[in-house]
Amino acid sequence: MDEFFTAPVVEKQAAVIPDALWDMTILGAGPGGLTAGIYAGRSGLNVIILEKLSPGGQIAVSEQIDNYPGFPDGISGTELVERMEKQAVRFGTRIVMEEAMRISKEGKLFVVTTTGNKKYRTKTIIISTGADPVKLPVPEEEKFRGKGISYCATCDAAFFRGKDVAIVGGGDTAITDALHLTRFANKVTIVHRRRELRAVKALQEEIFANPKIMFQWDSIPSHVIGDEMVEGLEIENVKTREKKVLKVNGIFAAIGTVPNSKIVRGIVELDERGFIKTNHNRETSVPGIFAVGDVRDTPLRQVITAAGDGAIAEFSAENYIKLMER
Amino acid sequence: MEKLLKEQDVQYIKELFDRDLVDPVELVLFLESEGSDKVTAANSQYLQHTEEIAKEVSEISDKIKLTVYKDDKEKEKEYGVKEISALFIQGKNSDRNVVFYGIPSGHEFSSLLEDIVNVSQGTTRLSPASKEAARNIKVPVEILVFITPTCPHCPGAVKTAHQLAMENKLIKAAMIEANEFPELSKKYNVYSVPKVVINEKVQFEGALPEDMFLNKVLSAVGESQE
Repeated sequence: MDEFFTAPVVEKQAAVIPDALWDMTILGAGPGGLTAGIYAGRSGLNVIILEKLSPGGQIAVSEQIDNYPGFPDGISGTELVERMEKQAVRFGTRIVMEEAMRISKEGKLFVVTTTGNKKYRTKTIIISTGADPVKLPVPEEEKFRGKGISYCATCDAAFFRGKDVAIVGGGDTAITDALHLTRFANKVTIVHRRRELRAVKALQEEIFANPKIMFQWDSIPSHVIGDEMVEGLEIENVKTREKKVLKVNGIFAAIGTVPNSKIVRGIVELDERGFIKTNHNRETSVPGIFAVGDVRDTPLRQVITAAGDGAIAEFSAENYIKLMER
Repeated sequence: MEKLLKEQDVQYIKELFDRDLVDPVELVLFLESEGSDKVTAANSQYLQHTEEIAKEVSEISDKIKLTVYKDDKEKEKEYGVKEISALFIQGKNSDRNVVFYGIPSGHEFSSLLEDIVNVSQGTTRLSPASKEAARNIKVPVEILVFITPTCPHCPGAVKTAHQLAMENKLIKAAMIEANEFPELSKKYNVYSVPKVVINEKVQFEGALPEDMFLNKVLSAVGESQE
């Protein structure tokens, strides 16, 4: 049974004073943003986190996190995030469910405008908006999204009980998702464009030992086949150019992420793929704006690296505030 | 039965309720016995847990009252119960139109708590523009929100649907725990959650921001409204 009941902390916090001047406004309540929130709260800063959906970001859809230190038996993504939230709220950080829409400058300050046209005047901004899954690169993606194509194995695996599914990708996320899917699906085929997986050794050992898993190496998806619902996935072998159709009802995609950097496009410097460029202090090209976690140009997108970024960015932001007020 | 809520979380919720609850809230839970056509292999295992969680939540504040109807066809009819379990949140701004079909567990537990606070205060967190648009709807609307408890994007859709219902009695909004109602999920082709179905005709997947969600509702009522 998968009941779990824990009190969300979002509603349990001091009221947000309108027209307040914030020391720090954090966009996104994933591990990076929440860590910055914990540090800022402990430093006594007046800090608010704006979250568009529910706290957690990418991590909340992770079934089990096995590489975050301190949890020798692993911990669910949801629980880890809830613990981070509680920790942030404990130190006075506010978390509100609003999506930041625009950032503008007002003298030395920034103004963050959110849905519903609310405005937050702030000395510093930490961008921790994360990244979204890359869409399945087939012409039929839009037609079949939600009709067999899914980007959230934790959410949707149960709909494929006893069915055959494919998962596209070869990294940690793809392999973790594939393992989760074997609990429901009849057969899970991993479609990967290379000959070997990128996922860590521990996951590879687990996946190769699982009898429900099949592999299609050196293959990329080319078309989704079906009438109303997904009935098959046409894949192409990148070496032989040979095409074949896998008879599947579900296609899960875990082929990397695209940064949610739209809000700072034209404001801070981005790299060619849209990730926010930062220096070792997690400063962007605009003084006072910092970036952490999946949205920045980081070599590794994990909970631990996002959390580390959050701590560094908060430290840098605090120094920025001190200099600004000198 | 062992308590479902951890002591620490009870404390948390108590603080929240003590601070935020204003007027009384009634949780009305409908259950049926084994053997009923509404109790299946898919939902029977959850009924006891649903009753237990409703009980534990209602015991946290004396402003919350729990009423359980078991095998009460007449009351079911009065409330328009479609599936079992059905948990209605009754208060100042809700009248048999804010309901959870299946257990509000996992991520949806936050929807339950937020609903309780909203009906107790008789307000919603919708923007003034959304409130006005919702209140101006003059035809019946039925919003079904299919979810799974492990879906972090789903409470957004449930909360928005329920709040729209709190703004206008003509709007009925239901959360549906997809695992418990496979037939219904199949009927509406639910393969990804959240999936929202409005008046049987407008459907979409994914958590939309409030204003876009509302536009879907308006497009569903559009024709009938004219």
